[in-house]
Amino acid sequence: MSTRPPQSSISSQSGSAYWRSLNEYAGSPEARAALTREFPSYDPDELLAMGRRKFMQLAGASMALAGLTLTGCRRWPKEQVLPYNARPDGTMPGVPETFASMVQRGGYARGTFVTSFDGRPIKVDGNPLDPTVGDPETARILAETAKSGDVHAQNKLNAFVGVADARAQAMTLEMYDPDRSRSVMTIPAVTRDPEGDLTKVQPEFSSWDDFVAAGVFQANVAVLAEPMSGLAAATAKVLFGEKFGHDHWHTWSPLNRDCEIEGSKLAFGRALRAQYDVSKAKVIAAFDCDFLHEHPSAIANARGWAKNRKSADNADPTMNRMYAAGVAFTPTLASADEHVQVRPSKIAVMLDHLANKLGVPGVSSASDLNGQTLFIEKLAKDLKSAKGESIVVAGASQPAEVHALVWAINDYLGNLGSTIITTEDPAGGALQTESIAALAEKLHAGEVDTLLVLGGNPVYDAPAALNFADAIRKAKTVVRLGLYFDETSAAADWHLPEAHPLESWGDGQAWNGTLLLQQPLIEPMFGGKSAIEVVALATGDAKTTGFDLVRRSWSSIVGTIATGQLVATSRADGETGIFDGPLTGLEAEKTWRKFVHDGMHAGSHLPKVSAKPAPAKPASGSIHAADAESFEAVFVPGPAYDGRHANNGWLQELPQPFTKVCWDTPAHLAVADCKTMGLQNGDHVAVTVAAGGDAADVRVELPVYVNPGQAPGTVVLPLGGGRPVTGNVGTGVGHDVYPLRLHGEASAIVKIDKVRGYTELATTTDHHLIDPERLDTGGTGAVENWALQKRAGKFGKEGYIIKEATLAEYIQNRNFANDDAHLDVRLQLFQTPSVTNPGDPDFVQPNPDGPDAFNVPHAWGMAVDLASCIGCNACVVACTAENNIPVVGKDQVLKSREMHWLRVDHYLKGDPEATSSDELYAVQMPVSCVHCENAPCEQVCPVAATVHDTEGLNTMVYNRCIGTRYCANNCPYKVRRFNYFDYHSKLDSDFFRSKNVGVEVQNKPWLAFPDMQQGDVIDQVRRMMFNPDVTVRMRGVMEKCTYCTQRITRTKIVAKADWARRKTLAEQAGKPMAEHPTDEDRLLQDGEIRTACQTACPTDCISFGNLNDPAARVSIEQQRNPRSYRLLEELNHRARTEYLAKLTNPVKPRKAKKDGAYGDDEPKHKADDHGDEHHHDEHAEPAAHG
Amino acid sequence: MTPNAPPPGDPPRPSPISRNVEKFIFPRWANYILPLLVLGAIGGGMYAPAAVYLGLNPDNLNLNYRPQQPIPYSHATHVGQLGMDCTFCHTTVNHAAFAAIPPSQTCVACHGNEPGASFAIKPNSAKLAPLYESIATGDPIEWIKVHDIADYAYFNHAAHTTKGVGCVTCHGRVDQMGEEGVYQVQNLSMSWCIECHRQPEKYLRPADEVTNMTWSPFDEPEVQQAVAAGEIAEGDEQAAQLYIGEKIKAHMQINNKYYMQACSTCHR
Repeated sequence: MSTRPPQSSISSQSGSAYWRSLNEYAGSPEARAALTREFPSYDPDELLAMGRRKFMQLAGASMALAGLTLTGCRRWPKEQVLPYNARPDGTMPGVPETFASMVQRGGYARGTFVTSFDGRPIKVDGNPLDPTVGDPETARILAETAKSGDVHAQNKLNAFVGVADARAQAMTLEMYDPDRSRSVMTIPAVTRDPEGDLTKVQPEFSSWDDFVAAGVFQANVAVLAEPMSGLAAATAKVLFGEKFGHDHWHTWSPLNRDCEIEGSKLAFGRALRAQYDVSKAKVIAAFDCDFLHEHPSAIANARGWAKNRKSADNADPTMNRMYAAGVAFTPTLASADEHVQVRPSKIAVMLDHLANKLGVPGVSSASDLNGQTLFIEKLAKDLKSAKGESIVVAGASQPAEVHALVWAINDYLGNLGSTIITTEDPAGGALQTESIAALAEKLHAGEVDTLLVLGGNPVYDAPAALNFADAIRKAKTVVRLGLYFDETSAAADWHLPEAHPLESWGDGQAWNGTLLLQQPLIEPMFGGKSAIEVVALATGDAKTTGFDLVRRSWSSIVGTIATGQLVATSRADGETGIFDGPLTGLEAEKTWRKFVHDGMHAGSHLPKVSAKPAPAKPASGSIHAADAESFEAVFVPGPAYDGRHANNGWLQELPQPFTKVCWDTPAHLAVADCKTMGLQNGDHVAVTVAAGGDAADVRVELPVYVNPGQAPGTVVLPLGGGRPVTGNVGTGVGHDVYPLRLHGEASAIVKIDKVRGYTELATTTDHHLIDPERLDTGGTGAVENWALQKRAGKFGKEGYIIKEATLAEYIQNRNFANDDAHLDVRLQLFQTPSVTNPGDPDFVQPNPDGPDAFNVPHAWGMAVDLASCIGCNACVVACTAENNIPVVGKDQVLKSREMHWLRVDHYLKGDPEATSSDELYAVQMPVSCVHCENAPCEQVCPVAATVHDTEGLNTMVYNRCIGTRYCANNCPYKVRRFNYFDYHSKLDSDFFRSKNVGVEVQNKPWLAFPDMQQGDVIDQVRRMMFNPDVTVRMRGVMEKCTYCTQRITRTKIVAKADWARRKTLAEQAGKPMAEHPTDEDRLLQDGEIRTACQTACPTDCISFGNLNDPAARVSIEQQRNPRSYRLLEELNHRARTEYLAKLTNPVKPRKAKKDGAYGDDEPKHKADDHGDEHHHDEHAEPAAHG
Repeated sequence: MTPNAPPPGDPPRPSPISRNVEKFIFPRWANYILPLLVLGAIGGGMYAPAAVYLGLNPDNLNLNYRPQQPIPYSHATHVGQLGMDCTFCHTTVNHAAFAAIPPSQTCVACHGNEPGASFAIKPNSAKLAPLYESIATGDPIEWIKVHDIADYAYFNHAAHTTKGVGCVTCHGRVDQMGEEGVYQVQNLSMSWCIECHRQPEKYLRPADEVTNMTWSPFDEPEVQQAVAAGEIAEGDEQAAQLYIGEKIKAHMQINNKYYMQACSTCHR
């Protein structure tokens, strides 16, 4: 195994100080192949070895196919135009509309804005009015300005949406999933496998009427529901409780926050919720907590964190400093300025020491800190100097004692009431682990006749010790409401199809208590019902619609606002379904309509509680650490979250942060442990957990991922894999680790043994590597070698893909990102197309009517701030949803054929076995097409299928592309993607239809009759999801980021058509010229277009706009921010996307960086012997960067 | 008698040698193969390009396409005789990409068949049956798309009509198309689009004349003045169009030809 070769080989071979995978770190031949070849697995010899006969066969076959295709030269099929019967007021066919709704996960809601195209929801964004995902202040200002009727203000308002994370963005794919359950089903008892194999049941079709007629809800009914917040859910709970008993409502979700609730009970005697104001915090310490990424208020946290980071560019920076201790790299840990990776049991010890160092009374630190002393000392010092301006936070997987101590520390530091507001927890102090255990007890005791399971999937994800699959069979009738026919449905007697959140009315409460409304965008496609409707049905009201249920529950709020007094919720007549609430007056209706329009009760929040936590107690006493032979396992959300998104191809194919694994859930192990056990990526291990007592140990076998930077002695187990019963996409993907969670705990002590077996892991760490040194230029000439030397310096020094500095270095040298660039634009073989900054000495005013003027009338550009990117992947899914990007499947990802236009690269620096930021840290970088003005792809395309438009977009013309792939070959950024197959039809092809098991690659449409376009193969339901503004690409076509050209064009047309209309009207009315719209008025203003990735970014690290407008944010960032640099600038591609250099704020410069690009021991130009052929500008005054 | 001797009375069998030689001699008809091949090559050489050219020519594929519509709606009656403006029904044309076929409700505004309808024109006509069925069921009328461009080309009506591209320029004299239905008068090929994108001045008209089916550049007072001043020859429609077109192009800030021909202008 070659994870760690001798040092000499690193410096002589790889020469790279930043690395993306262990292969690259070791300079292995595979990594070199990945650098120099687009598709390393492609073997040209395979083609050359083809015999004459084979060649003739294939050539003949292609001629025949070509002949058949020619028969298609006719008018294409008839299309129909179906106008509305009665067009709703204000609706225009083909013009997208946005509606406010919400999404709920684990009982924590987030507001969404859903874009609908002719009645089809196709894109999910955040609700800007929801403070947890948006910016209500700015949204209100924009709405106020838009009232004037100005089209630009209206465009700005339309573009200004909040943030939706990757999972919320992927909701549309879930809604249009043809595998969703489409009918009420009964599961005949005779088809139940005596061994308990859930895949063998044969459900039968039934109907809602039959289900109601069956009358299963008589007495002794219990409910097991996913946590649901909101007024309608609360009302449903009350109604159910009134009829069947309040203590028969049970709640379970596998990724719960029980430990946190217990912790706050320890500290305050009751459940309280912490509301963080991260923007106010100067020092943040996250202990085993991914609070920028996996937290109900992660988006607000990330925004607050980034707001503070951006102050670094001010004259007087107040950049925060984040400390993190965790098991392995997470978006939060990697974004921290100081981080250590430790066993999870170590967190309590570290916190004890921290409390002791800070002087929190009542905490002594007995146990050994063992190497983390420096981290704790640094942190304690910083925290002391930032009293009342700091945040200490522990993760949901940490035990209650840790949370209690964290409360005490925050209280001691004076953070409570300033950076941390304590509020009530509306869910109360009930623990879900206890709730489901109590239900299991009732079931075993035979106290439940009918069990109603609302959502969730307890048979798959309940604590293993409860043996839930057996327990629910103890009930006489089990009714299950779910989006898919899954494990729990197979174990039930009735399966009811659930209405998707985009199809049904509902409500919920955000982390901060904002009441949100869930508005449907479409009728339930498969006749499903929502959870509140089914509860109403269970209580004997089968007729009231979801809308009435929600409207009725909200009448209390509507009443409050309209009349100033609280009105109790009353029930409507169940038979007629007519609302008989307390207030139906005009005022109430107005208020309600405003709520529906906003998607929320604006300004609602949880009441503040000023409570003082109990005196601190040491947290480490109760912790059980693993011994030297055991491993500490932590369960984290996997690509499918807790398994619910298993059938969602977008999420399954989303490279997970840092491991970049798709389509699997391997166990992550530390490099050192893997070396000891002789494990490589994909080797199988058995993870064993002792069941205690006489029970046999539980054992799960799964592949490993060798994870650089993970703490030794730990194993990270992503949940949600290995689903036996779900849709065709997700069945059998990954590995199920729920059996190891005996009591639903978030961490466990396990044994790990190497076993026989190997699973090839589809990880994209080595895909699309940017080659900073051009290892294989093969002596192609002086210019390239010159560029190479400039960029890479001598071997052993990194290239300049990543530029970074610490805050201290940045203050000292504001121009660090550019003073090492040796680019000399005067050494040009030809005229530069355009330099966008007129202040540049080489600026040539292009002829505005010339073909090479890439700035008429706008000049589009993008800036990506690496200092605030946390690598959360939301942009990747947003891009996928906006641009109709297909899912390709694991077999194709293994061949580097994933289609994501936007990828998040990570670069690690330092020793892969190190566990502190001093010796190993990570930088993340989103990369998509950078839209070079001097684009290498355009120069090699034989058919001009990729060319520039006049506004600087490097356009890709699908209908012209013949698929030579020369452009991808010539793109040093490796951002071009080729459709080898009709991937969109793949999800509906035999490959996925046969449930992924034992099937070789079958992309059937490829060999189907040539006239059968993928449009005919893609499922009718799934094709409703496509964005009609973006071409659906066929096989054999290259594609790449277009800067969301469809958004640009749409906005431009809207603005200019409005301008032209106003101009014509003004002329017709004979108004004086002063009242006519000006010529400039037709141009777009800053903020009118926001790209899909930009709207999805929680830290707002992407800016996009018109470089011709000096006041545009992107112009300011590109032209006035000294951190701005172009990727591979020395190649003179003149990229339109610029990156703002990474900034960190560690206490001392990191050791791993000592031979970095910045802060060299010797000035670079002395080491290079390129003579004086170019201008030495290192010491020149920093010029404005263009 | 040897067993191999032929039975008496049978004709002598050909010797094995002659049989083998015969195998290598082409039959007489084989003499015609070569000339046939040559003829075929010449014929095919002429046929193939012709077939490809004519078969792929958008003029042959698209021009005069006139599908039968569910209702024999006559633009000649409504526009030609009654003088209704295009935007009376196609309301979204100046605001959206689609000119939008009117909803059924628009039709029954005049062709009402319910008791008490303020306008009930020909409510009993059999031709209107699909309309009343649509109103009764709530289902749309299934019109057949006439002007159907490729899905990768994104045409936007508002971008054109607000700046002075007349309806008649692309759709022809709709006011003369009767109950047989609307048909395609332009081939809607890319080269046809590009022709105007290169030189929009050849086709532009004042924005308030867009729906006018009979507009001529000589209707414009500016042109009439120029004719009076002798700048444009009497009856030189091309010169008159260029004269007014150039003015509108500048007036409407039509982008330069490089912008207009950029791929992203129409393809996404």
